[in-house]
Amino acid sequence: MVLFPIMLKGVSMMHNNSLKRSIFLQYLSLILPGLMIFTFGLVIPLILGFKYSFTSWNGMTASKPFVGLQNYINLFKDKYVLDAWKFTIKFTLINTVVQNFFALLLAIALDGAIKAKKIYRTIFFLPALISSVIAGFIWLRMYSNILPAINKLLGTSINFLLFGNEKTVLSGLLIANNWQWIGYWMLIYLAALQSIPAELYEAAKIDGASVFDKFLHVTIPMLAPAFTICIVGITTGSLKVYELMVSSTGGGPGRASTSIIYLIYNTAINGRQYGYGCAMSVTLVAVLLLVAVIQLKFLRDKEVQM
Amino acid sequence: MAKHHKEELEVKQKYTFGTFITQILMTIAAAIVFAPVLIVFNYSFKTKKELYLSNPLSLPKSLYFGNYITAYKKLNLLTTFGNTLLYTAVSVIILALLCGSAAWAIARCKRKIIKFIYVYFLLGILIPYQALFLPIYVIGYKTGLTNTRIGLILMYIATGMSFGVFLMTSFMSTVPVELEEAAMIDGCSIYRTYFSIVMPLLKPAIATLVIMQSFQIWNDFLMANLYLSNKNLKTLTVAMQALFSQQTSDYTTALAAIVISVLPVAILFMSLQKYFVKGMTVGALKG
Repeated sequence: MVLFPIMLKGVSMMHNNSLKRSIFLQYLSLILPGLMIFTFGLVIPLILGFKYSFTSWNGMTASKPFVGLQNYINLFKDKYVLDAWKFTIKFTLINTVVQNFFALLLAIALDGAIKAKKIYRTIFFLPALISSVIAGFIWLRMYSNILPAINKLLGTSINFLLFGNEKTVLSGLLIANNWQWIGYWMLIYLAALQSIPAELYEAAKIDGASVFDKFLHVTIPMLAPAFTICIVGITTGSLKVYELMVSSTGGGPGRASTSIIYLIYNTAINGRQYGYGCAMSVTLVAVLLLVAVIQLKFLRDKEVQM
Repeated sequence: MAKHHKEELEVKQKYTFGTFITQILMTIAAAIVFAPVLIVFNYSFKTKKELYLSNPLSLPKSLYFGNYITAYKKLNLLTTFGNTLLYTAVSVIILALLCGSAAWAIARCKRKIIKFIYVYFLLGILIPYQALFLPIYVIGYKTGLTNTRIGLILMYIATGMSFGVFLMTSFMSTVPVELEEAAMIDGCSIYRTYFSIVMPLLKPAIATLVIMQSFQIWNDFLMANLYLSNKNLKTLTVAMQALFSQQTSDYTTALAAIVISVLPVAILFMSLQKYFVKGMTVGALKG
C-alpha cells in the first residue's frame, strides 16, 4: 500500500497487519454507503423481479402462487408480447443505423472549415436537453396540427398524420427520436474527431493518400472507441423506449407503437399481472445484457485490431 | 501536443467551394432541427382565436401572456418546480459524494474484494432502470418509500451509482498519488486525506457527474410518476404530462408550459456549455 516504507520501519509484523486491516476497513467504509443503496435500489429489485416472474402474483394479495415456468411459456404464445418485441426491435435497428449515420455526418461537417460552428452545435444539441415526454408532445402537435396547417398555407396535401396510422406511426416516432438525439451522439463523434492527432493525416498525405483514403484508413480506425460508445448507447436507449410514446401515441393506434416497456406497464400496473410483467422485465434485462455484451465484444475486438 | 497541432492545422483549413456547399447544407439541417423549437415558442403567445384563424408561420399580433398564466396555474408551478429542483439537487449532491469516495477507495485499495465490488457496480451500467421499474416500484411500496421525497431521491441515487462510480474511477488515474502519500505520512486519516486532499482535485469529474445526472433526473418521468401520486410531491415533468393529456384542442397552454419548463434548463446549458460538452464527451470516450 501507499505509506509504509518510512512509517513501518521497525514495527512488528503483527502491528503491520492490524494497521493494514484498519486501513482496509476505512477504505471499505467509503464504499459501503453507495454499495448499500445500489444493492437496495437496483440489485435486490433484479432478484425480486426474477423471483416474481415464477408466480402469478397480481400485485395486491399477500399470496404469490408459484407457477413455475408458465409465465415464460406464455410469453412466447402471447401475440401482444410478440408484437411489442417486433415494434421495439424495428425501432432499435433503424435508430441505430440512422442515428449513427447522421451523427457522424454532422460531426464530420462540423470538424471541417465551415463558419459559426458553435451555433450549429448548440442548435443540434438543443433537443437533447428536454424530456422525451415533451419531445413526444411537440411532435404530436407538429404532425396533427402544425404541419397540416402549413399544408393548407402552401396548398399542398402531404399526409403528415403519421401518428394516426398503424403503418406510419413507427416512422413518426423515429423522426421524433432522431430529432431529439442525433445532436447528442454528434458531440461524441465530434470530440473523437478532434482528438485525432494531425500528424497522422500529415503522414498519410506524404504517403500520397487521397481524401477518401485518409478517411478510410485514418479517420474510421481512430473513431473505433466512439463507434463502440454510440452504437451500444443508441441500442440500449432504443430498447428501453417508453417516455416518447406516453404523451404522443399512447402506444397506439391500436397497439401499433406499444414498446416492450409500455407493455410491461400496461400488463402490470393497469392489468394487475405483476408476475407476468416481471417475466417480461426479466427477458428484457436478458436481451439488454446479451446485446450489449455481444456488441462490446465485437466492437472492442475491432478496436484492438486497428 | 497533438491537440495543439490540430488547432494550428484548423486555422489553415481553406474555405473552399465544397466548404461553402457544406455550409449551406448544414444551415438547412439546422433550420429543420430548429423549426419545431421556434414554432413552439411562436404558438405559446397565440390566443385561441389566432390558433384557429392565423397561419402557423405568422407571428402573434401582440405579445399575449395568457397561455403562460394558465400554464403557471395548471402546472402548480411553484410547487412542482421546487420539488424537481429539490429532488435533482439532493440526489446529485449525494451521488457526487458517494461516487467520489467509493471510486477513490476502489482505485487506491488493491484488495481483490474491492475489485470485485467495482465489477459489481459496473453491472448496473448495462441495465437501465426502466427495464426493472416494476420490482423497483414493489420494493419501494413494501418499505413504505413510495410517495415520499426520500424514497424517490434514494432511487435516483441507486440508479445513478453505476455510471458515477465508473466515471469517477476512470478519472482517478489523473490524481497524483504522491500528495496523498505525503498527507498520510503526516498522519492524516483516510477520511481526512480524501476530503481535504483528493476531493478538491476531483472538481472537473464532479462537475461532469453533476451536470449529466442533473439533466437526467430533471427530465425523468417514469420513476417520478411511479413513486409519487401525492399532488404536493409531484415533479414538473409529471405535471406536464398531466397537462398534455388535458389539452387536446387548445394546446397553446401546453406549449407555453413547455417553454416555461425548458427555459431554465436551456439557460443553464448555454452558460455551462463548455463543461457540459467536455464532460459529456470525456465521460463517454473514456469507456
